[in-house]
Amino acid sequence: MAQCVQSVQELIPDSFVPCVAALCSDEAERLTRLNHLSFAELLKPFSRLTSEVHMRDPNNQLHIIKNLKIAVSNIITQPPQPGAIRKLLNDVVSGSQPAEGLVANVITAGDYDLNISATTPWFESYRETFLQSMPASDHEFLNHYLACMLVASSSEAEPVEQFSKLSHEQHRIQHNSDYSYPKWFIPNTLKYYVLLHDVSAGDEQRAESIYEEMKQKYGTQGCYLLKINSRASNRASDEQIPDPWSQYLQKNSIQNQDSYEDGPCTITSNKNSDSNLLSLDGLDNEVKDGLPNNFRAHPLQLDQPSDPSNSIDGTDHVKPASSLHETKKGNTGIIHGACLTLTDHDRIRQFIQEFTFRGLLPHIEKTIRQLNDQLMSRKGLSRSLFSATKKWFSGSKVPEKSINELKNTSGLLYPPEAPELQIRKMADLCFLVQHYDLAYSCYHTAKKDFLNDQAMLYAAGALEMAAVSAFLQPGAPRPYPAHYMDTAIQTYRDICKNMVLAERCVLLSAEILKSQSKYSEAAALLIRLTSEDSDLRSALLLEQAAHCFINMKSPMVRKYAFHMILAGHRFSKAGQKKHALRCYCQAMQVYKGKGWSLAEDHINFTIGRQSYTLRQLDNAVSAFRHILINESKQSAAQQGAFLREYLYVYKNVSQLSPDGPLPQLPLPYINSSATRVFFGHDRRPADGEKQAATHVSLDQEYDSESSQQWRELEEQVVAVVNKGIIPSNFHPTQYCLNSYSDNSRFPLAVVEEPITVEVAFRNPLKVPLLLTDLSLLWKFQPKAFSGKDNEEVKELVTSQSAMIGTEVISEFLINCEESKVARLKLFPHHIGELHILGVVYNLGTIQGSMTVDGIGALPGCHTGKYSLSMSVRGRQDLEIQGPRLNNTKEEKTSVKYGPDRRLDPIITEEMPLLEVFFIHFPTGLLCGEIRKAYVEFVNVSKCPLAGLKVVSKRPEFFTFGGNTAVLTPLSPSASENCSAYKTVVTDSTSMCTALVSSASSVDFGIGIESQPEVIPVPLPDSVLKPGASVQLPMWLRGPDEEGVHEINFLFYYESVKKQPKIRHRILRHTAVICTSRSLNVRATVCRSNSLEDEEGRGGNMLVFVDVENTNTSEAGVKEFHIVQISSSSKHWKLQKSVNLSENKDAKLASREKGKFCFKALRCKEKEAATQTSEKYTFADIIFGNEQIISSASPCADFFYRSLSSELKKTQAQLSVYAEKQSTEDAVRLIQKCNEVDLNIIVLWKAYVVEDNKQLILEGQHHVILRTVGKEAFSYPQKQDPPEMELLKFFRSENTTVSSRPSVEQLSNLIKTSLHYPESFNHPFHQKSLCLVPVTLLLSNCSKADVDVIVDLRHKTTSPEALEIHGSFTWLGQTQYKLQLKSQEIHSLQLKACFVHTGVYNLGTPRVFAKLSDQVTVFETSQQNSMPALIIINNV
Amino acid sequence: MAVCIAVIAKENYPLYIRSAPTENELKFHYMVHTSLDVVDEKISAMGKALVDQRELYLGLLYPTEDYKVYGYVTNSKVKFVMVVDSSNTALRDNEIRSMFRKLHNSYTDVMCNPFYNPGDRIQSRAFDNMVMSMMVQVC
Repeated sequence: MAQCVQSVQELIPDSFVPCVAALCSDEAERLTRLNHLSFAELLKPFSRLTSEVHMRDPNNQLHIIKNLKIAVSNIITQPPQPGAIRKLLNDVVSGSQPAEGLVANVITAGDYDLNISATTPWFESYRETFLQSMPASDHEFLNHYLACMLVASSSEAEPVEQFSKLSHEQHRIQHNSDYSYPKWFIPNTLKYYVLLHDVSAGDEQRAESIYEEMKQKYGTQGCYLLKINSRASNRASDEQIPDPWSQYLQKNSIQNQDSYEDGPCTITSNKNSDSNLLSLDGLDNEVKDGLPNNFRAHPLQLDQPSDPSNSIDGTDHVKPASSLHETKKGNTGIIHGACLTLTDHDRIRQFIQEFTFRGLLPHIEKTIRQLNDQLMSRKGLSRSLFSATKKWFSGSKVPEKSINELKNTSGLLYPPEAPELQIRKMADLCFLVQHYDLAYSCYHTAKKDFLNDQAMLYAAGALEMAAVSAFLQPGAPRPYPAHYMDTAIQTYRDICKNMVLAERCVLLSAEILKSQSKYSEAAALLIRLTSEDSDLRSALLLEQAAHCFINMKSPMVRKYAFHMILAGHRFSKAGQKKHALRCYCQAMQVYKGKGWSLAEDHINFTIGRQSYTLRQLDNAVSAFRHILINESKQSAAQQGAFLREYLYVYKNVSQLSPDGPLPQLPLPYINSSATRVFFGHDRRPADGEKQAATHVSLDQEYDSESSQQWRELEEQVVAVVNKGIIPSNFHPTQYCLNSYSDNSRFPLAVVEEPITVEVAFRNPLKVPLLLTDLSLLWKFQPKAFSGKDNEEVKELVTSQSAMIGTEVISEFLINCEESKVARLKLFPHHIGELHILGVVYNLGTIQGSMTVDGIGALPGCHTGKYSLSMSVRGRQDLEIQGPRLNNTKEEKTSVKYGPDRRLDPIITEEMPLLEVFFIHFPTGLLCGEIRKAYVEFVNVSKCPLAGLKVVSKRPEFFTFGGNTAVLTPLSPSASENCSAYKTVVTDSTSMCTALVSSASSVDFGIGIESQPEVIPVPLPDSVLKPGASVQLPMWLRGPDEEGVHEINFLFYYESVKKQPKIRHRILRHTAVICTSRSLNVRATVCRSNSLEDEEGRGGNMLVFVDVENTNTSEAGVKEFHIVQISSSSKHWKLQKSVNLSENKDAKLASREKGKFCFKALRCKEKEAATQTSEKYTFADIIFGNEQIISSASPCADFFYRSLSSELKKTQAQLSVYAEKQSTEDAVRLIQKCNEVDLNIIVLWKAYVVEDNKQLILEGQHHVILRTVGKEAFSYPQKQDPPEMELLKFFRSENTTVSSRPSVEQLSNLIKTSLHYPESFNHPFHQKSLCLVPVTLLLSNCSKADVDVIVDLRHKTTSPEALEIHGSFTWLGQTQYKLQLKSQEIHSLQLKACFVHTGVYNLGTPRVFAKLSDQVTVFETSQQNSMPALIIINNV
Repeated sequence: MAVCIAVIAKENYPLYIRSAPTENELKFHYMVHTSLDVVDEKISAMGKALVDQRELYLGLLYPTEDYKVYGYVTNSKVKFVMVVDSSNTALRDNEIRSMFRKLHNSYTDVMCNPFYNPGDRIQSRAFDNMVMSMMVQVC
């Protein structure tokens, strides 16, 4: 129970006060009316006595009464109607709302902090009104009239006459059986005669004389002269007089008005209403005659139009039922007591005191004494006897009683003068004058009697009052008998079926229990009384019970909340919307955010509804918003209902303020960090054979690796453009901004190019959401073209499309629990700063069917398909939080976020816009295949375009041809069978010898300093005019590696005009090429031993080329033809083909392998001298009848590209190695002689069957030969890793690289060859020694002078070897020391001596070599691996 | 036969709540939530010393017109609340006690699941089945 203003010790005496009736003459009433008050009202503020009163009890003890209050009210002749009471109570409660600024106190219970209003004024006023409006009943006398004031005015013609008339009337009311109401305490009621005198108008003398007359007639103690109206009402305004009535009347003003006839204000003695200034309507005329209409119904009676007495409002007008509210308003402005001065106030106060002291209290004292005497006299008889005799005499009553009990429910009914009632009467009187001791004992006695008689109603009443008086006894001699109360309540409720009495009992008892901190009992009591018959009462009691729970020593928060909800429910049933809302809101505090989502939703929903009906739309909206925002566990139907309700409320809100800002909508969710912004046009789909560059689009997933690649590419090209330095203000161009991109700078958009914003929506509900008229919301700050700053900042709204065009998506459906993105476009038409603020749309749902799948995905194609049930227009802002900053210490210690400017693009001036199309661009290639395609460059903007470049990580993949027009074939018309190569028809005779040409690598864009990745596109005029398009040929070569290749092209271009903001633009393309295996080329080079060709002075080489068809037949390749093998080198060239097989065409079917052998020569010295170092000599060996000019595009292009990429690869490996070697010149020299820089190009044709058509594909493979005797491959082959690796254990090797060159390297320093006859016939029988001349040729392969030692002595150690070699001896000098100059050839004439026939190996001479200028000697035997066999025959 | 079974975390938010007549779920939620006050009261009523050796079963929390609400608190202050139809007289204290013990065992199993994050809502099928069996079967 909430705290009350009054303590219980004040409350109960104030609830039960002595009642005094007032009966006024018309004239007297008129006098008081001048103050807008009735007589009873006039007395009301003064009805509490300020001083203590003394009284003698029956035992002549002095009894002190403190704070006695009396209630003066006009006589009412009819009991109150229950309906009227209900209405009154309703109004009282709804009129009392918590004050706005009420400071709620915070109660902390467990982990709950609750804001609870400590007081419940509505409950107190309800209680007060309820207790006041209790109808008087027969079983108790507390609110029966004890006395009656008869009031007449001094201005009346016959005042004394009037008094006797009034007296008669009172008598008639009390004793005539026509009036069962009001009830009177005892038969001879105290009559008190009051003469009202108007000081300002009346004659004082006359009044005094009448008063004298009265005193003589009624005695000094029975009459009073009350002088009022000391000043005229019309001059009231200049003096401020306290208005003590306001607090009484204001409080009841609603009550007064709504119940029409609240006693004090309207009981007028309207007998003489014609003389009254109020005689306003015809109804008055019929009430003229006689007194009956003096006596009004109970104040709470319902308005009955037929009842004449109801129709007069005392003050100023006849009140029709409909004008209720006007009167209410009118009444508040009235000043009460305008004609009264402070002296008058004192007079009234004095009057009340006089009345109480001289009239009322002596009367009560006397009555008590009388009753006491009666009881005492009856005490002579034994109590039991008394009751026994009574039973005896009224024996017939007993069986009747049981029947009565059923019928009457209250059990026995006593006649009014029954002796049992006398004691109750006395008890009540004692109680009224606060003599609680006596009252308790009387009640106690009465209770026993009634219980004996089974008069349940009476017994309950006695029990109730006994309990109350026991509680109120001063000094508290006995504990509060709560069980009395319980019994009383139960009896009232169950037996008597009198809820009103039960309620009073509960209210009192609960209050008492509360004062004793017995909250749980109080709560139980209050809850027990809630029932279906009165919602208002149940609501109030439940609320009080809830307060009891929270006020307990250990507060029961959840019980509090639950009962608050119950109370709220009952309030809403009772029509008390505000109270209901308040209850729910208070309960919400407990349920909020604790995971009880169903309950929370329910409360929110109710709050929303209640707020809506109370027109608190903002609250309603936020409550509904809550239901929808949280991850709801409700069913789909429920969610649908919530959503509909929400939309409905929202619609109302927006209708209220149509011009206001658009409301923020809670649905659907927007994942704002997933917002992506794209600048530029949508990609055009492939158009026939034309295939547009992939560029950037929103469909691409973000890939950090690839974006890094693109960035590097762009940096490369920018560096090339800026002569190797990347400008400091360079930032990579970003076309698509997402959460991964760098959004710290304002992005740049180009005017007239669309901006697409992708917004990620998510529908958390189980019902589909339909967004209509979805578009972006933005703000634009245009910038004037003139250079000076334009201060004018225009805020534009979406409707103005002159600056920015906005695309509107007419329908956008999001299914249940779906995430979906919407792409919204803006078309800037003006430069300036754009800020995209959010999205604006109509939110709605779909009527009916829930099963809308996929079809809704395409907006626009089914406009109007869904019948919109309801939709509201609103917006949602896009606010993107930037990345968390973590650089400085301050940023690390606090949580700070950087800006994210994704949505704030700057619109800049026009830039050229390039579109690139690829024509005949293949998707599948054989490895090494050459294909010709075309690229079309289109400038779609209004600006000329220049500086077009392309950059790629794989420059060996494509070429645009050489720099010079001679080398590049003219761009022919596209034809399929036409060879990509430049060919020349040759005669078949020259097929064995090489055709030589030369070309410089610079011509093919492979310079030293320039990066090979950046390739300028050879535009005809180097400028692309607006709207112009250029087609260029482009050759592609399938990458050597099998598989799928993604090759990125980055096209770079600039505007002709220099732009400060955007220097360049880029276009991306990713080509996907699938390659399949074709040929595998392996080549070795070795020194030729033959010397007969004088042309190649010591420089002949043999080149072996193995070509294997590794193609698996799946690709449809029938066979490969090797059409040409070319060499390319700075120093070497192929001379001719050796041992050409008869398979002239060099066909290779699947998995076939062919071997070619070529002779290579050193280029002529003079040629080499004239050539720049970059000049390569190309030598072609043709197998067909067409020569492919290998020094022209595209063959040479690809050769150079693969060379450069190969170089790059090896450089990285060599760089470490080379550094070490630089110190060792000697080693290098030695190594140098092993090096060869011969590159082999294998050109082939493949016959492919595809769709029953035969196609010829062409291609080329490159092999780069560097080291003599070492195998080189066209492409490093991947070794299939074995299933299980053999484990090897070995010591970690000495990592110090030996400064000595390897044996192998040294052995190549000197080339040796033996010349001798293969078989030699010698007649051994003639001559036993056979001498054979042998020539040993020594040729120096290195470029330095070499000292050579030739040792002919046998050094074979193993006897086995001796056996094999047989025995022969060299004759003559056994050791030669020579010095060979660079590339010098020297021949030694040797003689071998044989003694037997047989086969001998002549390869025994051992050759040692060392560099002659070297101090350190690397002396190593030159291996002579080849056996040199000679056959000696005997003839 | 239980009508509603709920598992409430130490911090008094629901870990699991299931009721047999699903159409009136809200009512049971309110009922269980309100019962927590009584649980709190019962726990705090016991002295600190007694807490260790107290019985987990709390007995009848409160009766309503149609239902009886029983409570059980584990040592880690996780509450089990069971709402039982009051017309069902077959259920005596002992049966309720054994039902709670079963529930506790099953709850322990859920907690033992290494993939269960303590404090999350219980979404175990085994637990579900056990609860369902208690709601249907007449003990």
